[in-house]
Amino acid sequence: MAKLTSKQVNEIANNFLALAQSIGEYRYKNFDSLTKTQNKILRESHKRTLDYSDDLYTLSATLVMNDIKNSLTKLESITKKIKKSYKSLEDVQKAINIATSVVTLGASIFSLNPQAIIDSLGNLKDAIED
Amino acid sequence: MKQHLKQFGLAIMTFIALSSCVNLKHVNEFSSTSLQSIKSFEELNYSFKQNCIDQCIRNNIHDLKINSESCDCKLDKVTDSITLKIYGSINGYFDGLAKLSDNDLTSYKTENLETALTEGDFGSITIEKKHVESYSKVSKILIRAFTDSYRKSKIKGYVKEANEPVKELIGFLDFNISANLNGKLDVKKTRIKADYFDLLKDNSLSTVEKRNSVREYYSEINEIDNQQKKLETYSKSLNKISKGHQKLYDNIDKLSVKEIKQALFQYASEIKSIISEFKKIEE
Repeated sequence: MAKLTSKQVNEIANNFLALAQSIGEYRYKNFDSLTKTQNKILRESHKRTLDYSDDLYTLSATLVMNDIKNSLTKLESITKKIKKSYKSLEDVQKAINIATSVVTLGASIFSLNPQAIIDSLGNLKDAIED
Repeated sequence: MKQHLKQFGLAIMTFIALSSCVNLKHVNEFSSTSLQSIKSFEELNYSFKQNCIDQCIRNNIHDLKINSESCDCKLDKVTDSITLKIYGSINGYFDGLAKLSDNDLTSYKTENLETALTEGDFGSITIEKKHVESYSKVSKILIRAFTDSYRKSKIKGYVKEANEPVKELIGFLDFNISANLNGKLDVKKTRIKADYFDLLKDNSLSTVEKRNSVREYYSEINEIDNQQKKLETYSKSLNKISKGHQKLYDNIDKLSVKEIKQALFQYASEIKSIISEFKKIEE
């Protein structure tokens, strides 16, 4: 038999809560016409149904873990890559390498040679991606 | 003729550089505002465990017990750690996206190098200060164009890859907060109503005591309503962030189009309004 999902358990918790609220409202409305024992029974059922609902909400929240495992792993791996990218752009040593490439790029601009500029940009790319 | 060709080539390079300059301000505005909003999670000041402790204390008061060690909140603690894990993952992603899309990240300073070039000897070329300054400007444009294109292509890849998992995780964070934690608060409200109803029906209490109980009841309900408003507002911001990310994903190949920029600024502005709304509840 298939196991219940977090969303299904949440639906059940909502139903228990609605049921508990109906029991409660019935007791409040008919309190004076109910016997002491009847009141006690209804009070207990009300409490028990609320306990079920409360526990089911917690259970639903824990079952979420089954649904998100893949997404969690994927997003964490993407975040690692993002961090690596911006670290590579702000790393001090990288900045020094970039600066060196800038000098070469400056010289290539002086040469007014488009090919030299393209080569220098290639070096700059390597400096950033290293 | 050769000299003219060189100059023409340089002009073309500069044109390419200028046209490839990408302003990622709208991506940065959206991601950093989203990040700020996601962090409101830390200001919710309520958790599954807290709910469990509150309920346990309520039971102890009802049963006139002072042994609070009997509170078993292990499962609620697990639930909090799962929710925190989802929050941490979404938070980390938007933090990275905000940092990578920040234009300041690639604003490299080249003043020291300019000085070095002016004062130094650079091979067979004689460099004059005025030349260094003007060529440095061209270098800066080229570097900027290059690094911005690099960032743009990286962001494109990450947003494409992250869209589905980030939307799913935002959905489940919202689910745990607005469906499960909020549901527990509804249970709490129903329990409180039952407790106070019985107090008011208790003939051993005086009218003054009953009035005080009614005052306490409204105060407790008001506190829960406030907490629920916070959860609801946080949920609203999560939905907006999810939609904004989808918009970014749908238009990731045309980031420079004016309408996309406006749409992302609009999402950022709406998220900011929700953040203000959230802060007002706190006050």
